[in-house]
Amino acid sequence: MVRKSYVLKHWQLYIMLILPLAYFFVFKYLPIYGVTIAFKDFNVFKGISASEWVGLEVFKDIFSQKSFYVALRNTFMLNGLDLVFGFPAPIILAICLNELRLQKFKKVAQTMLYLPHFISWVIIGGIVYQVFATNYGMINLLLEDLGIGPIPFLSEKNAWLATYTSVGIWQSVGWGSIIYLAAITGINKELYEAAEVDGASRLRRIWHITIPGIRTTIIVLFILKIGDMVDIGFDRPFIIGNVMVRDYSDVLSTYIYRIGLQSGQFSTATAVGLFQAVVGLVFILTANYVSKKTTDEGII
Amino acid sequence: MKALKRMGSLLFTVTLCFALIVGCSSNSTGTGNNNSEGSKSTTTPRSNQDSNKNESKERVKLRVEVFDRGNAPEGLTVTNNLMTEYVQKNFGDPNNIDIEYVAIPRSEEINSLNVQMAAGTAPDLIFTYNEGAAYSWAQQGGLTDLGPIIDEHGPNIKNYLADSLQYGVFEGTQYAVVARRVNLQKYSSLIRKDWLDQLQLPVPTTTEETYETLKAFKESNLGGQRTIPLSFALAPDSYEPVIWSFIKEQSDEARYLRSVTIGSREYPILMDGHKDALQFLNKLYNEGLLDQDFALDKDKKKKEENFVNGYTGLYMADTGTAFGGGENSVVMTLEGNVEGAEVVPVLPWTDFEGKNRQPAYNPSGMYIMVPSFSERAEEAVKYLNWMAQDEVIQYMAFGEEGLHHDLVNGYPVGNSSEEAQKLLFNSGDMLIITNGIDFGSPEKNNEYNALSVVEKHREIATISREYANKDAVSQPIKFEKPLDSEAKYSVVMLEKYEELLVKSIMAKPDSFDQTYEAALKDFMDTAGNEVIQERTAMYEAMK
Repeated sequence: MVRKSYVLKHWQLYIMLILPLAYFFVFKYLPIYGVTIAFKDFNVFKGISASEWVGLEVFKDIFSQKSFYVALRNTFMLNGLDLVFGFPAPIILAICLNELRLQKFKKVAQTMLYLPHFISWVIIGGIVYQVFATNYGMINLLLEDLGIGPIPFLSEKNAWLATYTSVGIWQSVGWGSIIYLAAITGINKELYEAAEVDGASRLRRIWHITIPGIRTTIIVLFILKIGDMVDIGFDRPFIIGNVMVRDYSDVLSTYIYRIGLQSGQFSTATAVGLFQAVVGLVFILTANYVSKKTTDEGII
Repeated sequence: MKALKRMGSLLFTVTLCFALIVGCSSNSTGTGNNNSEGSKSTTTPRSNQDSNKNESKERVKLRVEVFDRGNAPEGLTVTNNLMTEYVQKNFGDPNNIDIEYVAIPRSEEINSLNVQMAAGTAPDLIFTYNEGAAYSWAQQGGLTDLGPIIDEHGPNIKNYLADSLQYGVFEGTQYAVVARRVNLQKYSSLIRKDWLDQLQLPVPTTTEETYETLKAFKESNLGGQRTIPLSFALAPDSYEPVIWSFIKEQSDEARYLRSVTIGSREYPILMDGHKDALQFLNKLYNEGLLDQDFALDKDKKKKEENFVNGYTGLYMADTGTAFGGGENSVVMTLEGNVEGAEVVPVLPWTDFEGKNRQPAYNPSGMYIMVPSFSERAEEAVKYLNWMAQDEVIQYMAFGEEGLHHDLVNGYPVGNSSEEAQKLLFNSGDMLIITNGIDFGSPEKNNEYNALSVVEKHREIATISREYANKDAVSQPIKFEKPLDSEAKYSVVMLEKYEELLVKSIMAKPDSFDQTYEAALKDFMDTAGNEVIQERTAMYEAMK
């Protein structure tokens, strides 16, 4: 009885919830039905239900393809690099920004650092080519004048990986730091004052107050990031990659694009997508479990 | 599944009602379902109409694909311009048809058609140059058999295309109408005459001489610090002419068994000479004779830029592109940018017999098709039939005399006025029944092609086009039907082939062998072996 009256009393709230729920239902849950394509010999003209079941045939086909493993390896490699170099970057930046005294400068710096986040990858790709091309790129022209040989930023494996990672950091570091900055503002100022009185140096304060203060945030984001290990954006590897480094720039998303959209093999593409989702789920659950065991923080 | 759908629509309806309550002013005729299929709502009158076919007085809608290349003049779009108005007025209105053009981005053609075919929203009349895609739709039952409809409604089509109609027959069924291609020349090369004069060198006539000339260009840095003796991009117009000139096998058997077809091109990947060709390019690359950044230049923009800025000595491009565009042609731009620049046509590459073996097009253009779910197949054929008339072709290609073109020696030559630009900017994508205009004979076509070039370049443009015909071989060689494996792997093969090219050309000379073999093995393992197997089987069956 009590419960019912509560619902009746706040019925507007429930009505308002319908839209977001409908969104998730229609756009996130209904399409799950389409996953069945992965187990069918999908004929686009017959439709999903009329296509024949083929069991795990499609998966067998994928797991026998060398290019699939290459794409999978590259996905882990590029995401791994992002995790090692890209994940700490916004934390360090947020801590640095936090230590700034001059508020005006801090604001300006922040805004400038956010900006790249709003530039589309297509445009960044254009800039990257202008700046890093071996022969006519700005940096290499400069190096040439300095008498240093051209560095193949875009065509040699290791140089390309460095370019890929650093461009990614440049693009996202400012944006990523927002959430940490917000977490830092939540730390009690008295702790800093007390530490200062006790004679703690700046580094000590960062180490013993700031970092523990944002630990929860770091862990939550870290778990999410781990869950995304098999999931990789399409634009960045697709645009910054080129033929010379395709052995390293071809990732699952570009693989799916090529197989699914360009070659019209929807079953294969769906199967890879499903595989990606399952591995992603395993990763995120594992990360969460480990984190709960070791630090007592988790997201589920 | 049904239950799911019902639930979905129920939810959607509820949502929509909610939106209405909240203060939407729109009328309440649509339920959730209707709304979500907005574009299909016109299907309702269609089905009633099917029963009284031909002489129907009811107006129907025909949706036709058109490429969007982003080149429409200001204020116009590819779906709404003077030409679409012309078609509506002259074909649509008399036949009680509303023509709706559907823009498909040129570079995303296959992706968007694949998606639209799968979703059942593709236009009634679609076209593509990609035979593999056309075949794979046909195979899955996605295309309408046009044979009987053409018999009934397409006399002009039959007349106009005659033998070319056979290119659209897959396994005995006319799944596509294949446009005619008039100009079959593929690639042309130009060399900087002023550079040759400065070095007192003749125009090279053999591969060996060309190589020496390129070296001389490099040594004297005639284009400044950034001299690029040989233009090169990661595009067929750069690698095909060179590669084919190294191929030592010419029999049909070799072409069936040791080359593969990717898209509309033949790649002699296993033929004797293929490796030599790449080794030669590798040598050019390592000696700095070809564009060092070629692998980044897939759209050929850099290649053209380098040429018009005067950095390039020997320029290879698709036939006609260097002189096309009247006053703004590539060569005109070069002459404007670099004082004293002068070019002459050249046949730079010779094969083992001293011939200039090079690829040429088949006389077939794009594949025009009607999806099986379309209910407007008849109207689509009527549309093509209407287009296949001389006066329509004339208008769609050249517009009106005096306004859009002038008659020169009896040929309609575009006057590059604003009016002409407005009407004809995408003429090739609208006049889909033919690719290029046929004036009746190759000589006449050449004469016309020459007239469309600015006067001072007419002569060299003509020679350049003639050169492109020399020892040219129509490609690709065709089986009775496209191959399943080639349709499946066309994208993958092209990528692997590009990798093969880039890796072997950019390898250090002493590791060339190793790199080439590894990349070739990769190509074969990924798709090549399967394709060659199918080709062999099919060839055996054909014998």
